[in-house]
Amino acid sequence: MDAFLSQYFDLDLMWRSLPEVLGGFWVTIQLWLVASVLSLIWGLVLSLLRQLPGRAAAPIRALTIVYIDALRGIPLLLVVLLISGGLGALASEDVIADWIGLPRWFGKPDPFWYGVFAITLTYGAYMAEVYRSGIEAVPSGQMQAARSLGMSYAQAMRKVVVPQAVRKVFAPLLNDLTALMKDTSLVLVIGLAEVVSIGQDIQAETFNSSALVLGAILFLVVTIPLARIVDRQIAKQQIRYQRV
Amino acid sequence: MSDRLTDPTGPVSATTSMVRLEGVHKRFGRLEVLQGIDLEVKRGEVVCVIGASGSGKSTLLRCINLLEPAEQGRVFLEGVEISGAKGLNDVRRRIGMVFQQFNLFPHKSVLENVTMAQRTVLDRPKQEAAERARSLLERVGLADKLEEYPDRLSGGQQQRVAIARALAMDPHVMLFDEVTSALDPELVKEVLDVMRELAREGMTMIVVTHEMGFAREVADRIVFMDEGLVVEQGPPAEVLDSPREERTKRFLGLVLEH
Repeated sequence: MDAFLSQYFDLDLMWRSLPEVLGGFWVTIQLWLVASVLSLIWGLVLSLLRQLPGRAAAPIRALTIVYIDALRGIPLLLVVLLISGGLGALASEDVIADWIGLPRWFGKPDPFWYGVFAITLTYGAYMAEVYRSGIEAVPSGQMQAARSLGMSYAQAMRKVVVPQAVRKVFAPLLNDLTALMKDTSLVLVIGLAEVVSIGQDIQAETFNSSALVLGAILFLVVTIPLARIVDRQIAKQQIRYQRV
Repeated sequence: MSDRLTDPTGPVSATTSMVRLEGVHKRFGRLEVLQGIDLEVKRGEVVCVIGASGSGKSTLLRCINLLEPAEQGRVFLEGVEISGAKGLNDVRRRIGMVFQQFNLFPHKSVLENVTMAQRTVLDRPKQEAAERARSLLERVGLADKLEEYPDRLSGGQQQRVAIARALAMDPHVMLFDEVTSALDPELVKEVLDVMRELAREGMTMIVVTHEMGFAREVADRIVFMDEGLVVEQGPPAEVLDSPREERTKRFLGLVLEH
């Protein structure tokens, strides 16, 4: 039992590795925040493209569906590897510019940005489907009322349909953001020093897993409150529906 | 601001024809909902459309403001063909529509419901839009509800907001699609009263309704529809009291008996 405790809960080691683990967690948080914002935007764009009206937009709709199906069906780890290997190689062969092939924006190393790209591409596809369910849950009378007042399709979507849809899918989107946070750890395979990779390094040096456990605790500090927010939001919506 | 619901200084066009339909057909899959409708509504006229459910009354209204494009036939607004035309948004804002289910925007306050399209479609300055909204809401008896959200209002209040929302666009004609059918009986009158006043002010109105009393009192003309066709039309006294067509008699027998 003591061996078990000291393997996973060596408080002294935790304390000593805290600065390093916190540094890694800060990278995780940054990756999470940037990729979350971009995924939320990209997902909304995809869901709007997927539901563009009219015959002329049929090719766009088809392409969007292919994209969403593909990115939801491929492991994120594989997308991370495709992006990092691909962009780096293309930049070194001068097929694409260095600033996009070897991005070092805002003082972040290129693995950080490869991770952001890969996560955004994949999670955008997931979130597109969440948004779509929200948009489809807005009664068609809303669009009709907006159009009958002379609003264009785009105005009606922006002012009437999307704001209601986003409220409806707030909880599932937060769920996706929780999953996204955990998936940021996959970027360690391309050498980003985030919290899991730092814990793993310490584990390799000390043959002790306590730094990884510390990382796990840090994840929980963020994800558990998120789960409670989701609960509260769902409860709030149910009250709303009961009233209607 | 005058105490009228409508804008008396609105543009005046020389033509007296407000809405004209010529041979309008509409089909949903195999079902032909409109089987060739000819109908003309003159400026200032109040036309009530009656008929059994499924007779195509609501579809008729949706074909007028092109929410449903007609497959065949032509639709004219103030003498200009609008079926198949471009610039539908400008056409639609001249045709106000009120729905059975109100369709207020639930995420917006009452005031915002009435100002939104004024701002986005007519580019009215915020102040002006709010002022117009306030005076309209006051006229429909909701001056104290400006900041409420739709789900805090009764059905009758919601429907009056919806009427104010449509009127805020200064429409030339108003379409009413069974606007009291979803209301509790005691709330029907407050909505009909607003419509009565609109009619008195000379608004051109096409009203799909089951309220025979209202139709008799307010309509200049009653149009009876059955199976996607206009079966009979004329002044209320004629159509309601001495209908010529067998189908009209049968329908009125069903709705007027009880």
